[in-house]
Amino acid sequence: MIAALVMMGGGVAAGTFGSLLGLGGGLLIVPLLTFGFNLSIREAVAISLVCVIVTSSASAGVFLQRRVANLRLGMTLEFFTALGALVGGLIAFTLSDRILAGLFALLLVYVAISMIRRREPAKRTDVSPALAPPTPPGIPPAEASEELAAAVPPIVDDLAVGAAVEERPAERGQVVRPTVLDRLSTPDYRVRNVGPGVAGSLAAGVTSALLGVGGGIIKVPVMNLLMGVPLRVATATSNLMIGVTASAGAIVYLLRGGIDPLVAGPTAVGVFVGASIGSRIAHRVDVRVLRALFVVVLLYTAIQMALRAMGPG
Amino acid sequence: MAGQDAPGRRLELLIARLLNLGALASVTLLAIGVVLMALAGRSPLEPADQSLDLAMIPADILALRPEGFLWLGLIVVLATPASRVAASVIGFAAQRDRTMTLVSAGVLAVIAVGIALSVGQS
Repeated sequence: MIAALVMMGGGVAAGTFGSLLGLGGGLLIVPLLTFGFNLSIREAVAISLVCVIVTSSASAGVFLQRRVANLRLGMTLEFFTALGALVGGLIAFTLSDRILAGLFALLLVYVAISMIRRREPAKRTDVSPALAPPTPPGIPPAEASEELAAAVPPIVDDLAVGAAVEERPAERGQVVRPTVLDRLSTPDYRVRNVGPGVAGSLAAGVTSALLGVGGGIIKVPVMNLLMGVPLRVATATSNLMIGVTASAGAIVYLLRGGIDPLVAGPTAVGVFVGASIGSRIAHRVDVRVLRALFVVVLLYTAIQMALRAMGPG
Repeated sequence: MAGQDAPGRRLELLIARLLNLGALASVTLLAIGVVLMALAGRSPLEPADQSLDLAMIPADILALRPEGFLWLGLIVVLATPASRVAASVIGFAAQRDRTMTLVSAGVLAVIAVGIALSVGQS
């Protein structure tokens, strides 16, 4: 009983901090369950994936209603994230706890460095609704606000509305068939470079299933920097994709007996409540102080994970 | 262009409702399971059967055992994104968008392969 309450409280804390900092819960839930409740990394990753799906489903619906997420782009890329997650989920059962701990430590260091480099986004007053900050009321911004989105230079975010779609010349009388990129683009911006998007999506899927995160940490920078998608749209689209990505991996864990329902229940409910709280109080919290504190926590956790990786197997 | 036409917008709104409903249903089921856990004095740290037995879920729910609600909640969690993809397949097919129909069907196929491989190895 007490353990369930503590687990749920941990989930609330992870969800709240994750929401306030624009991080997915996975980065916090996996260390919480491994160090706090002595679960193996693989068990914690499975629970984390469940939490990630719950928060993603709740917020992605709002992003779609607000026309921020690009459904076609998300659907196209998530074919590859799902493929990567399937491979990652199968690989996870062949890796030792030590290797998974080592990989998780590397991920934490990467995120910590990216948070240090993060810039405060410039305030904008001239963006279209599609490019406005995706902050659904009462709904967690989930994984994607994201982890490292703001480590990215805001070049593409500053695209002038309506100026990004290139006109393609057509000969007189010739019918120009829309290309794949045309289909993925909108009047507000033009998508380019599908190749890096495919590679990034595969990597995001593998990372998600192996380490219990949504994979937005990879998808958002790839979409924004390499594919020409405005940061806010990339964030929302990544969020939409996270559900399918994480579920492709979580299904492998579920069917192979890797998810403990008695742990998943309290944790997922706690994370959902915490993420909702975080999104409601975000405007009242000085995130810069929180972020500095969080970087310390991430680095400390990375050291603990590294020690676990080097410890007795 | 993505999502600008009326059928495309309708599909987006349908998917949005599906996702919201799935999230709400799954969290509600999990929360009921957690309450039943508390009432029964069950600890998440006790050894639990982690193998999914679909046949047991209705009986567990009728007997108000936490496992029934927790397993059903987990299934709804994992099925929500897949049902969103299934709705997309139907929606894009209705729009006669062959490319996106194939892409959506491909995503569903990947999920199906994952299920088949996992069942085969479990």
